[in-house]
Amino acid sequence: MFGALARRVTGQRPGGPRSVAQLIPADPDRLNDLLLQVARSADREAFNSLFAFFAPRIKGYLMRIGSPADLAEDLAQEAMLKVWRKALLFDPSKASAATWIFTIARNLRIDAARRAAKPALDAEDPAFTPEEEPPADVMMERQSRDEKIRAAFQSLPPAQYEVVRLHFIEDAPHSEIAERLNLPLGTVKSRLRLAFEKIRKELGDSVE
Amino acid sequence: MTALSNIRHHPKDVTLAAYAAGQVDEARSVVIAAHLKLCPICRLAVGDFETVGGACLETVEPVGLSDSALDSFWLRAGRQEMSPAPASVLAANDFSLDAMHPLSRYLKDGVDAIEWKSVAPGLAQHVIPADGYRPGVLRLLKISPGVRIPKHTHGDEEMTLILRGSYTDEVGEFRHGDLADLDEDVLHAPLATGDEPCICLIATNAPLRFRTIMGRIAQPFIGL
Repeated sequence: MFGALARRVTGQRPGGPRSVAQLIPADPDRLNDLLLQVARSADREAFNSLFAFFAPRIKGYLMRIGSPADLAEDLAQEAMLKVWRKALLFDPSKASAATWIFTIARNLRIDAARRAAKPALDAEDPAFTPEEEPPADVMMERQSRDEKIRAAFQSLPPAQYEVVRLHFIEDAPHSEIAERLNLPLGTVKSRLRLAFEKIRKELGDSVE
Repeated sequence: MTALSNIRHHPKDVTLAAYAAGQVDEARSVVIAAHLKLCPICRLAVGDFETVGGACLETVEPVGLSDSALDSFWLRAGRQEMSPAPASVLAANDFSLDAMHPLSRYLKDGVDAIEWKSVAPGLAQHVIPADGYRPGVLRLLKISPGVRIPKHTHGDEEMTLILRGSYTDEVGEFRHGDLADLDEDVLHAPLATGDEPCICLIATNAPLRFRTIMGRIAQPFIGL
């Protein structure tokens, strides 16, 4: 029901409840602000807005990727719990709220799959070695980089856009995407390649 | 680029994007993560692809949670402490896959403690099953200086990271931290160069393919 509210996103159907539109943010700056508010003052109202936007999308993501509905709901709750508990670790200079929450959901799904594959395996990693900071001249300000990436992604030709989207939100190897879209495997791979080249170009990175 | 690191061979964009999407099997993600530890350029690229992931998450058709979801959320959250602020910016955003797939999980005592099995003169290997998410096989190869691996092609899903020493092949020179993410049709015959053995970490995803490669490795060597 919130699908129409993710603005500037192609392929969304128009027409959703207006009253919800005012409550549900879909603009990256607003999402960042809400998360920072949660970090600053454990603001539950702000968190509820984040929950209303992200929890159903995380659940949808996990279901598309193959989780049964009840597990997807449970993992979505777990993901939002991490968002709440780790809000102080959120650093908007490194990733936007949506990116940060995507990585949380992605890692939870991989962990869940790992537990299912080998229940005895320790899911928590003991050693986390901090990395060096990327040098300042390479580290273009994250926010402007994000904006360029989002703009490039959203202006991809529809055929490339759809392949990239399926790649990120479904548990589908290239061959499965090919089957689903009734395309040769080579076409899927070249569309992905072209799409990523375009995104790089938008960032001003050299394309090898 | 050279000012930042000496790494000259990187994973392809499609590989880094698949990694960011969480679509890479366990064995390959270990190899990629080990490269990322050493390569700030690729870490930046993974961050970029995660941004695409965030944008994709926003496009997902939402599936409503149960009516009591928010209440039960606050019940659960109320019992838990919020994590304190990070000691440094380095500790922040520690949700990268990197933190979840360290090589150390598989090589607890490091490269020096590996028990090598000789495969042929000048060539030894150590095989580790990479269990977990989409299991595969991690293989370490130790090639003595001056030894050349016979010509072979790579499967699409194979990836090689140089941990020690160096080798030279038709593609170029590969040193510590370089990752060979070669196309299927690249035919090459790596020659270990330098004074120390070249130690490579190789991810393969299927036992069947692994056997085929073993067959190739058992071939007689040139340059002995």
